[in-house]
Amino acid sequence: METLVQSASYLFDLGVIIAALAGVTWGIMGGALPGISPSITMALLLPFTYTMEPMSAIVLLASTYIGAEYGGSVPAILIRTPGTNAAAATVIDGYEMNRQGKAGLALGISLYSGVLGSLFGLAMLILLSGPLSRVALAFTPPAYFALGVLGLSVIATLSGENLVKGFIAAILGLMVATIGTDPVTGGTRFTFGSSELLSGIEPVMIMVGLFAMSELLVQAGRRGEAERVTSRPRIRFPDLKLARRLAFPQSIGSVIGTFEGVMPGAGGTIASFMSYNEARRWSRRPEEFGKGSPEGIAAPETANNTVAETALVPLLSFGIPGSNSTAILLGGFLIHGIVPGPMLFQRSGEIVHGLYAGLFTATFGMLVMGMLLLPACIWLVNRPRPYLNAFIFALILSGIYSIHNSVFDLGIMMAAGAVGFFMRMLRFPFLPTVLGLVLGYLVESSFRRSLVLSGDDLLIFVNDRISLGLLTLAVLFIAGSLGKRIYDLARRRRVEAFSQGSEARE
Amino acid sequence: MRKQRILAAGSAVFMFGMIAGANAQEDYPVDTVTLITHSSPGGGSDVFLRELSRYLGPILGANVVVENVRGGSGAAAMANLAQSTPDGSKFYATTPTFIYTSLLSDPEYKYTDLEPLVNFFIDPEVIYTSANSEYQTLEDVIDHAREGRGQWGAANPASLERQALEQLKAAADVNAAVVTHEGGGDLLINVLNGTLQIGVGEVQEIQSQLEAGELRLLATFSDERLEAFPDLPTVEELGYDVVVRKFRGLAGPKGLPDDVIAAWERAVQEVLADEKYKAAYEAANLRAAYMPHEEYAQFIEDFGNETRVFLKESGVIE
Repeated sequence: METLVQSASYLFDLGVIIAALAGVTWGIMGGALPGISPSITMALLLPFTYTMEPMSAIVLLASTYIGAEYGGSVPAILIRTPGTNAAAATVIDGYEMNRQGKAGLALGISLYSGVLGSLFGLAMLILLSGPLSRVALAFTPPAYFALGVLGLSVIATLSGENLVKGFIAAILGLMVATIGTDPVTGGTRFTFGSSELLSGIEPVMIMVGLFAMSELLVQAGRRGEAERVTSRPRIRFPDLKLARRLAFPQSIGSVIGTFEGVMPGAGGTIASFMSYNEARRWSRRPEEFGKGSPEGIAAPETANNTVAETALVPLLSFGIPGSNSTAILLGGFLIHGIVPGPMLFQRSGEIVHGLYAGLFTATFGMLVMGMLLLPACIWLVNRPRPYLNAFIFALILSGIYSIHNSVFDLGIMMAAGAVGFFMRMLRFPFLPTVLGLVLGYLVESSFRRSLVLSGDDLLIFVNDRISLGLLTLAVLFIAGSLGKRIYDLARRRRVEAFSQGSEARE
Repeated sequence: MRKQRILAAGSAVFMFGMIAGANAQEDYPVDTVTLITHSSPGGGSDVFLRELSRYLGPILGANVVVENVRGGSGAAAMANLAQSTPDGSKFYATTPTFIYTSLLSDPEYKYTDLEPLVNFFIDPEVIYTSANSEYQTLEDVIDHAREGRGQWGAANPASLERQALEQLKAAADVNAAVVTHEGGGDLLINVLNGTLQIGVGEVQEIQSQLEAGELRLLATFSDERLEAFPDLPTVEELGYDVVVRKFRGLAGPKGLPDDVIAAWERAVQEVLADEKYKAAYEAANLRAAYMPHEEYAQFIEDFGNETRVFLKESGVIE
């Protein structure tokens, strides 16, 4: 209750309102561009948040995520190409409705369902994020170590189709995290005499390189013209009768979206496909699915917007991002020296309250901007890709350069982009790398700090109850995942492939 | 007629004032002085400099601007300064960090490549514990460490606070783990949740927790008692020969001209005595500790040597 009152006071904060609206606008446009995922849309903004107020920066990034989840459905409906992976399920019935001349209604359903999904997700976010903050002070160094290990093992086992690739990607990130200053002695490591490397490599360079730069490289290697939007639809919202019919698939989408959002490593793509399947199974008119059923748009579009909100639960409470987009958001927090996790609510409560208010504003901003921006989105989708990519490349370079006015940073970002390109080609997931980079320092310093505290006695990790519990969970996760893979292998069954390479989990 | 004379006299006084003012302006060889800090906008040194520049400009007779040269914990700022012309147009805000970075990271340009100018302040470092803890005095903490194993915390690995605790540990001859953190916030949590018996930090870092009654001060590392806390004993009084001086001053490139040094020595004494500025810095718990050029240069040299010995003894550098 107190949270709601405090958040409400930020509803009229001009900085929050501007950030929320700007974020949603940017998000819808980025999401509408096929190939530009929500995480890339956010990564492009990330360097520019350096000079902003922390609250505006976080609201901007989180609103971008929400906007992108709706934006993805625009090309899905109009040109049968999902703008984001989470909009892939919308293609089935959305494009079918477009062919029947009901593109405006399809877009309207998508927007309306997205708004409802966001509101439900926001309510769940506020409800689920609070409780942990009460035990925040009980987190001692061994507990933080265990938390980092749990986060890494969960993400490494769940993201990507290959366990070994997941771990290799995580270790890559951990290796980069060791560059810079030793967290315990203060000596320097792997800096090779370069003063630029003294304070380590900032996650933002790696994130922008891995997500955005590598996508440009991939697109540069593609030929052929993308499909063009020829129609000029106007958004039409469902009438009362249709709205009533959509209520049920929307509830399915919200529930599944909440569950998948909170689970690390799951994410919007799985949530929207699952919701689509469940909505069909429970529908009174299952035969319409695949032939332009409005329910087939409502369910996945509710789900992916719910995920955009509830995915913040593990990030805010534990400091562990469950998806690429929330990893970028974590980068936004870190830029301003705010560390999400158990202490966030005590140390930077006002940021959280501002974020809640901003998400609320962004949800309604999406409704307005979604209608206003449709012509702009269509125009953008119809631009020749090389021009767009050149613009994005300029944006990346100027963004990274503006952080420290350093050409060295550009080199780091380009190197990360090249590594990212090969990771995409070899189907390595990005998320474990980013998480390793971000959590590496926490894991290492907490581990060594614990040993200093206990006088090199490893039992400190068992004696601390929170640490014991979290480490046990981590072992169970790895064992369970190994067991499942062995079982699958034995039955020669292919691992169910929702994931489409590294960008699957938004 | 009389009226005219008064007017003339008035304007003569005004003219004279102008000339005197202009003279003061010409005293300082350059129009604009840039003060460089390695801290980010809003960071500790940055706030100190921006506040200072407002009062210093008129007294020094030049525009004083602040520039943030981040990167390498001061390495970039030191390189920038060491290569600039020693005409009094550019200075670097020195804190112990620039000595630690020089010794630990071995950058191309070190503190020895700069010329210390003057010192402004000493930030008092205090020892604190959680208000709920059983430790009422520093002696209780030392006794606890003597009986078993103490756990003491410093905010950063390569820092004056850590050095202070290591020195205290040696002076008291006890077994205590000195645990380092990633900044004052992390340290505070571990003091509040009882993982550590004590933490060390500057007063302004823990101001809000002190006011909320969550922390209790046990001792100060300063050479004399603090005005704000007259009942707080110094570590030295308690029988441990450890005094810590977290200095805040300026350094310039080597070869500063004498007139620049003299102008600064005059201006700094004047600005520190300024009533308004005094109220501002005392509210921020800074203690004026003016050191003229010669004394400051010697101080920095001694400080550097002491730190080098400490870092070698604790095995951080070879």
